[in-house]
Order: sequence, then structure tokens, then C-alpha cells
Amino acid sequence: MHRAPSPRAVEPTTRHHRTAFSGPGLRRRLLAALVVIPLALTAAACGDDGGSEAAADPNKPVELSIFWWGAEGRAKLTEDALALYTKKHPNVTFKKTWQANQGYFDKLATLTAGGDAPDIFQIDDNYLTEYASRNVTLDLMSYKDSGKLDLSKFPESLWNYGVVEGKLAGVAFGENTQGLVFNKTLLDKFSLPAPTTGQSWEDHIAWAANVSKVAKVPGTQDPSADYKAFWVWLRQQGKDLYKDKALGFTEQDVAAWFTLWQGARSAGATPTPDVIHEGNVTDISKQLVVTGKAGTSWVWANQMPELKKNTKDELGVVAYPGDPSAQWARASMYFSVFRGTDNKDVAVDVINFLSNDPEAAKVLGTDRGLPSNLDIRKAVSDSVSDANMKQSIAVQTELGTKFGASPQVPLKGHSKVRSELIKAAEEVQFGRKSPADAAKAYFAACQAAIGA
Amino acid sequence: MAISTAPPAARPAGSASPGPASRRGRGGPRRRENIAGYVFLSPWLLGLMGITAIPMLLSLYLSFTNYDALTDLSAVEWIGFDNYRTMFTADPSFWHAVRVTVTFALVAVPLKLAAALGVALLLNRAFRGVGLFRGLFYLPSLLGGSVALAIVWVNMFNRDGAFNSLLGLFGITGAPWVNDPRWALETLMALAIWQFGAPMVIFLAGLKQIPVELYEAASVDGANAWRQFRAVTLPMLSPVIFFNLVLETINGFQGFTAAFVLSNGTGGPVDSTLMYTLNLYIKGFTELQMGYASAMAWVFLVAIALITVVLFSTGRFWVHYSDGEDR
Repeated sequence: MHRAPSPRAVEPTTRHHRTAFSGPGLRRRLLAALVVIPLALTAAACGDDGGSEAAADPNKPVELSIFWWGAEGRAKLTEDALALYTKKHPNVTFKKTWQANQGYFDKLATLTAGGDAPDIFQIDDNYLTEYASRNVTLDLMSYKDSGKLDLSKFPESLWNYGVVEGKLAGVAFGENTQGLVFNKTLLDKFSLPAPTTGQSWEDHIAWAANVSKVAKVPGTQDPSADYKAFWVWLRQQGKDLYKDKALGFTEQDVAAWFTLWQGARSAGATPTPDVIHEGNVTDISKQLVVTGKAGTSWVWANQMPELKKNTKDELGVVAYPGDPSAQWARASMYFSVFRGTDNKDVAVDVINFLSNDPEAAKVLGTDRGLPSNLDIRKAVSDSVSDANMKQSIAVQTELGTKFGASPQVPLKGHSKVRSELIKAAEEVQFGRKSPADAAKAYFAACQAAIGA
Repeated sequence: MAISTAPPAARPAGSASPGPASRRGRGGPRRRENIAGYVFLSPWLLGLMGITAIPMLLSLYLSFTNYDALTDLSAVEWIGFDNYRTMFTADPSFWHAVRVTVTFALVAVPLKLAAALGVALLLNRAFRGVGLFRGLFYLPSLLGGSVALAIVWVNMFNRDGAFNSLLGLFGITGAPWVNDPRWALETLMALAIWQFGAPMVIFLAGLKQIPVELYEAASVDGANAWRQFRAVTLPMLSPVIFFNLVLETINGFQGFTAAFVLSNGTGGPVDSTLMYTLNLYIKGFTELQMGYASAMAWVFLVAIALITVVLFSTGRFWVHYSDGEDR
């Protein structure tokens, strides 16, 4: 180090370099390498693109990436079902990635933006239109028509719920419906009646106020920030969340909805606003019915068994209040294929397998909702042993006889419509805005979100 | 692959024009050293280009488009200044987030610096175990932007968290801090202030630089501790204070992790923790308005640059460089 300033010390070193690498040649070679390395990388990247000849050689090794959200239980089931596929098709292996619902769609969008979307990914109706209308998803219609994707055992309305702009964007992977989950242990302890399907909203609020009074636990989570409760309520008023390319409700509807729950809060039927806020997340483990901070939570009926894993108490599930025919058989989620995948046929075949193979279906159970394939649904329902799963199937089957027509798949901007509802409802809950003012702001935000 | 193709690529070029090559070879050792320098720099340069410079320029381009992350980049539409116009005239969340962020920075940064300086003064003495205390006070900022820390914070400051239990001992009923729009931002500020370790260490280093003679002279002149602090410590420390102020201001404006974790990525309750960067993230990744988010990022960059310029221009009036007279 200290020798560096001396020119005599430097010179021999450089001369040595010159003889060893022949100076200019070194630079040339390094430059060439600099140019060639990225080229080589590009070439390698391009190499993948030509590989969609899986059909030509059915035994060619294929690795499919698959991405879903859910808890550990779902991960285990899914991995087992995929292992079954690999057993039958040893050349196909899977790169499995899963995470909680929170942040899932951020990650999926990032992967997609990078051109690196998973070959198969789970998606729900909140985002299906966003992805389908931007051609991220492969149109599966031709596979359905050719029978490579067998949807013949699916209820018509269910697979249709995966059609966006005439394209089959996702395969409905389970059916569910709104479910009001209540803490049975708590109610029994105080000899309180359980909520029932078909009770009116006013009855439910009065029931909840009574629970608060007797059990000293707020009777019901305040669902005014919950889009699916709002949606059911709207349908009972003869409205809907969306109608064609516009909103299916008015500002007055929103105000009436907020006022209904403002009344419930002042009747003591619901928790304090900060606790309501805690429950306004999608995280199953934070639902108030399992954290013991409210008697009920507003969820999807198929989430019952997963909720049960987070509490020692016994849970029950009924329909949301009001006329249950406002509820519908919703595709709880879908599996979609990335349009840019190199292995379209294999990816579709995997989805077909997961949907229709009796063995795989047995493994998957009702974790993602009632199986879409009706034959399999029957088989699973007959053989299921888990008490909570049994109850959730029973309720969904019972409701199935009362369901009304499915609404249209939500519009682009739906996720914003949801998050804005949480904001507006919380403004009212924290007493910062009147129902009318919050409704006005919400309505404007929704219109902006869907680009109306 | 690269190695096998490199020599043939280099050889024809070398043999075709030996003249210029040897002339360049005469450029001398200095020249070759430069090249070697660049070669050694190249991993960093590639990183700078690939991870910072090119994406930044791309985002500048995207800020003038309607890019939505899902559509292919080749299909984006040029929409001129629409994103910027929307931001300033038609997006209430933008101005709300600006207000939240400025409030956060205005409160949290001075308090954090004050806490850092105060503790640095306390720890700038010789007493048994001072090293341990320095370590302990520095610890929180080592955990800095960590998600785990924010989660702990949320659990400490909700309705039945540790903080309220503590208040309960004194018969005070605390608020549901993190879940209450009146207090959520303040809770974030408290977290930021608590992580004063990094500026504290820098202050400590600064304090050690102040010549003891100055204090001796001051005390001979009869200055009490407060006077010594004002007349000796503060001016001598002002370059360090300035350095910390600039750094922490920039940090303060960029606060993201804690707000993201505390609000589950929503900026709630009721947008009370909607920091600028969080809003940008929501716009880009949740609402898929990546072009708009890019525009927000550029406005942010310019705003922070302006704030830094302003800080530097005020520095002239209060920052005292002890070698100033020599210049």
C-alpha cells in the first residue's frame, strides 16, 4: 500500500501485467466478455420460449410454477394433491409458492409485471376481471370445448362465473356463499338463542344487542365496512353492486346501510370502532369471532373449518340476515393459467386433474369451497368426517336450494370499491362523518374507481 | 457459454487492426489502471445501472403513461402530463397523504434528534457500564425497518396491549392507540422517535471531537453547564446536527414499513397512517395504476430534493465549521 506512490515500484508491476496478458488484448477480451455475457443471458432466456412443444414429447420433463394464497392447512392439501399428479405424470413437477391472502395480489401483480407470472395461479372474483381484461389469463374456452378441460359436471352458473368478456378466464375452484359464523360456546354458556337463517336485519341487531347485554361480549361484528354484507343487503333491496358497466346502487342506499349500523352501534350490538377496525381485515385468525371480541363474524361459509382452527370454542354458521335468496353460489376462487406459460396444455391438464380426479378431490376436500364438480361434491360430502366441514357443507347445501341468480363478475376497480367502503364505513364508525356525507364520498370514489 | 464465445469475438478484432491497438497500448500504465478500475467497479456499475438508473429512467417514462403493471410494456399509452394533473387537481388521497407525511416528519424528526442528542450527552461521560448502555440504546435502531418490530409495536399499543396495562397501573384508561385514527399516526411517530440509535451514535462521535480545552476555558470564564452547552457544545456540534437533520428528514419522509404493517397495507384506520410512500405503493400494486405511481415517485423525488436544498441553504446561518476561518 505505502509503496504505491513510488513510480519505480509501480512500473515493474505494470510491465509484468503487459507481458502476462498483453495489455490491449486484455481490454479487448474484457470488453468482448462484457458484451457477450448479457447476450448469452438473453439467449438463455429466449431459449425457454421455444419450449412449448410439450405435446410432441409427453415425457419431456416439465416444471410448472403454481401460486396460491391460504393458510398452512390448504398448503398441505394442495401439495398432497399435486404430488398425486406427479405420481401419475412423473415428468411433471411443481414449483409451489403460497402465502397469506394479505399481500397475495400485490405479489401476483409484481410477478406479472416482470413477465414472470406463475404458470398456474389462484385468483378470486375481486381480481379476475382485472387480469382477464388485460389478457394475463389464458382463455380456456377452447380447452373446455375440446373436452381437455372437463366442466360438464360443474353447475352451469358456476363455471360461467369465470367468464369475462366472453373468455373463460378461470376455472371455478369451489363454491361458497356468505356465512355468518357465531360463537356457539358463548351463546350456550348464557343460554342465548343462536341466530337463524332468514332473520331480518333488525332482528339480528336486536339479538346482538341482547347478547352484548347478557354475555358482556359485543353481539356481532359491525359489517358496514364489509362489501359482501353490503352486497347481500343491496340485493335484498332489489339492487346490486354492479349493473353492466356501472354501479348497481345509489348514494342513498349507502347512506341507509351506514345508518342501519349506526343504529346498531348505539344499541350496543357491535364492538367499539377500534375493535371493528381490527376485524375489518381479511385475515382469518383476526376475525372477532375467534379472537373472542364479538359473537359473530361475517365471512364465507367455507372458511368455517379454518376459523375453527383459531379458537377452542364451538362455532356455528347461518346465512346473512334478510332473505337468503339474495345470496348466490359464488365461485370462491379460481385457478387460472398464465397466457405466457410455455406449457399451456400441461397447466390446463393439472387444473382439470385437480377439479375432476376423485382421488385429488378427496385430498382437497372443501377447503376451497364445495367442490365444483357435482359428482365429487356428493362423494366428498358423504365421506367427510371433520365436524366443522360437515356443518359448513350442510349449511351451504341447505342454502343452495334458496340461492338466487348469480350477479355479474365484479368490474375492474372492484378492489378499490372494497377498500373505499372500509374507509367510508370507518369514518362513520369513528364519528368523523355522518352516514350521508360518508355515503356521498364513497359513491364518488366508487364511480372514479370503475371509471364510470 | 460466455467464455467459449469471447476469444473468437476478440481475436478477429485484434488481428484486423493491430495499429490502433498498439497506439492505445502506449496510453501508459495510468490508462490501464483506469481500465482496471472500471473493471473492478463493473459489478457495482452493473448494479447501479440495472437496479437503480435504468428502472428510474423507465419509471420517468412510465409516469407519462397509463401503465397498469399487467399489460405488456409495449402496449402502454402515452398520456402526457395527465398523471401529474390528476395528482395535483383530482386526487384527494394525494394531498391527504402529503399532509400525513409532512405532519409525521415535522413532529417525529425534531423529537428524534432531540432524544438522540439528549441521550448522547448522557452517554458521553465516563461511568461504569457506559458501553453497555450505548449498546442498549443503539439496539432499537439496529432492528430499524424490521417488520417484526412493527408487529410488536402494534401489539403493545392496541386496546389490551402492554402500554395500556402499564397505564392501568396508574388508573388511566388508555386509548386503542394503533386502532384509533386520532392516535395511530402518533403511535408511528413514537416508534420512529424510539429508534434514535443511529443519530445518537453520530452525535456521540461528534461530541468526542469537541476539544476539552473549550469547556475548560468556558468554565474558567464562569460559564455554567447550560451556558457551556449553548456556547460550546451546540456550535461545535452544529455540522453533526446538520448532517443528522438532513439524513433523518429524508428518512422521515420515506417512512413506509411501520405504516404498512400497522395498517395491514391500507393506511388505515381511516387513512390516518397513509404515508406518501404507502399511498404510492397502494396506487401501484393494489390499484394497479403503475404509471400514476411512477409519477408520484418522481414528484416525491423532486420534493425531497427541494427540502434538502432548503435545509442546505438555511445551514449557512447556523452551521459552524470550526475550520471555517482557515479557508
